[in-house]
Amino acid sequence: MTLAGDARTLTDISVDLAPQRPGRLLVRTPFLAAAGCLGYGVEGEGQVPLDRFGAIVTRGVTLAPRSGSPPPRMAEVPSGLLHAIGLPGPGIEAVLERYAPRWLAWSVPVILSLCAAEAVDFGSLAQRADGVPGVAALELDLASPDLARGGRPLSLDPTLAADATAAARAATELPILVKLSPAATDLRALARALVEAGADALTCTGAMPALAMDPRGGGPLLGSAAAALSGPALRPISLRVVSEVRRAVSEPIVGCGGVSGLPDALEYLAAGADAVAIGTAALADPALPARLGDELAAHGPVARPGVTDRRRQPRTPHAARPR
Amino acid sequence: MHFRGLGPPGSLPLRRPVAIAGIDRKRGEVTLHLPSTDAATPWLAMRRAGDRADPIGPLGRPLAIEPRTHHLLLIAEGLSVPPLGPLTEAAIATGRRVALLLGARSAAEVYPSSLLPDELEYVVATQDGSLGHRGSVVDLVPAYEAWADQAVASGGPALLERVAHLARGRDARLGVACLGRRTARRGRRTGRVTRRSWLSVVLEQRVGCALGVCLGCVVPGASGPVRVCREGPAFRADELAWEESA
Ligand SMILES: Cc1cc2nc3c(=O)[nH]c(=O)nc-3n(C[C@H](O)[C@H](O)[C@H](O)COP(=O)(O)O)c2cc1C
Ligand code: FES
Repeated sequence: MTLAGDARTLTDISVDLAPQRPGRLLVRTPFLAAAGCLGYGVEGEGQVPLDRFGAIVTRGVTLAPRSGSPPPRMAEVPSGLLHAIGLPGPGIEAVLERYAPRWLAWSVPVILSLCAAEAVDFGSLAQRADGVPGVAALELDLASPDLARGGRPLSLDPTLAADATAAARAATELPILVKLSPAATDLRALARALVEAGADALTCTGAMPALAMDPRGGGPLLGSAAAALSGPALRPISLRVVSEVRRAVSEPIVGCGGVSGLPDALEYLAAGADAVAIGTAALADPALPARLGDELAAHGPVARPGVTDRRRQPRTPHAARPR
Repeated sequence: MHFRGLGPPGSLPLRRPVAIAGIDRKRGEVTLHLPSTDAATPWLAMRRAGDRADPIGPLGRPLAIEPRTHHLLLIAEGLSVPPLGPLTEAAIATGRRVALLLGARSAAEVYPSSLLPDELEYVVATQDGSLGHRGSVVDLVPAYEAWADQAVASGGPALLERVAHLARGRDARLGVACLGRRTARRGRRTGRVTRRSWLSVVLEQRVGCALGVCLGCVVPGASGPVRVCREGPAFRADELAWEESA
């Protein structure tokens, strides 16, 4: 165990999510808005204290415009939210044109979430985003269930996942976070393969592929079969993913799944995460990531585990990572 | 009519959309009716004066009375009466005549007339015939379609589909010229409808961010998807894309 907060004062809770990258990805608090839950960030401008977030991950952006899933797109289930939004959006060209100039004016880094059905398309997306002022980093969404793949998230196939990461890496020097599905298996090998392919950090996890049926015989509750579960029910599942991935790689981990208060976030940090992204809870309480920053600063340092599974040496030992 | 998201801290992930059933500007009060069928609302119902519930709102676009309306027809079912409250109050206060047609499964689920203004004409249909007309509330609409110069329906998708279907045939049955509507539907961004549609609807709000961000509440509109929490929950019938089968 190392004391991750050792060099920090009570108020410095900043984290570097891409220490290997030339530009780095310094976030002033470890609390991020998870992809899709605050739109492109601009919707919350003026209402949500975005400048007190660590970073904002945008709604998933695709190459071509998409209209999203047919309604209903959301249903509340015990301790969770089932959703099939279907990545609606105008496509990467329009998103960058409309919103990047506004992101540039913000002090909070904006991480562009990219989504595609084919590995090569992540290269095209990354290429388009490369060098665009206002985009601080990329997150490759290999977690969302994709109908084009029979509802299978890309990260369920380690080869495809590594190909997608390598394609994006080849196209840009921007920091790259890769988001894993909680349904992924053989997590340690997957994590190593992604880091090898160029991932700077791993987001663990996206939502869990899931289903809810109408008990009165009306079929599935949601309009699309590509549905997934978020919220409190997801937390123990994502926590285990964080713990497994931390055993295998030293790169920063963004824990994500069911965080709705500081104790939940502390669980993630204790499992080996360096930062925490908040999705569902921010739908009800958009200022939560900002408040968690204040609460963590008051709470003080957190003991966190390092890499234990050294089957292959990580690029830098976790404890010696520059801060 | 406005929406508020109200939720118990920490228990269920999302806020609840609750319609404002009445507004008392003098006393600075709003009335909310909470369905006991929703897991989150008993918590809210147990709050006392002085407790904090952390609401956000009012949100969304309310219903409006057309200036030329004299006779207002309201169509509702089950628990969908509250969103019509402020409109009803405003219509009565401005001397309009208002009829409410209510459908329910049985007499036990009929909205209590004691909560409705005396000036309102109240007609009930129950599926089991335990009160009023036996059958659907939609059966009652044709008798009022010539009388009413504006109609508002509030309820589940099945009811709204059927009422919208009826409303589409109304102009032809009554021999009303249909000016403006076609261009408004085809025109992409022109938006402005010269002739208001007879029917407005209030969609049931689903849980979500209620802020227009998550896109979890969208329904198909006549010119692309619309958000119930922002562009709605009140829509003119011609703003929505209805299934033609209804
Ligand atoms: C409404 C909604 C929309 C989402 N959209 C995206 C998306 O566009 N891209 C993505 O990678 N994840 C998306 N997610 C997944 C979240 O980013 C997050 O990984 C997941 O919900 C788990 O975190 P939570 O339990 O805090 O919500 C979405 C989740 C929700 C609830
Ligand atoms: S509920 Fe989130 S956009 Fe309407």
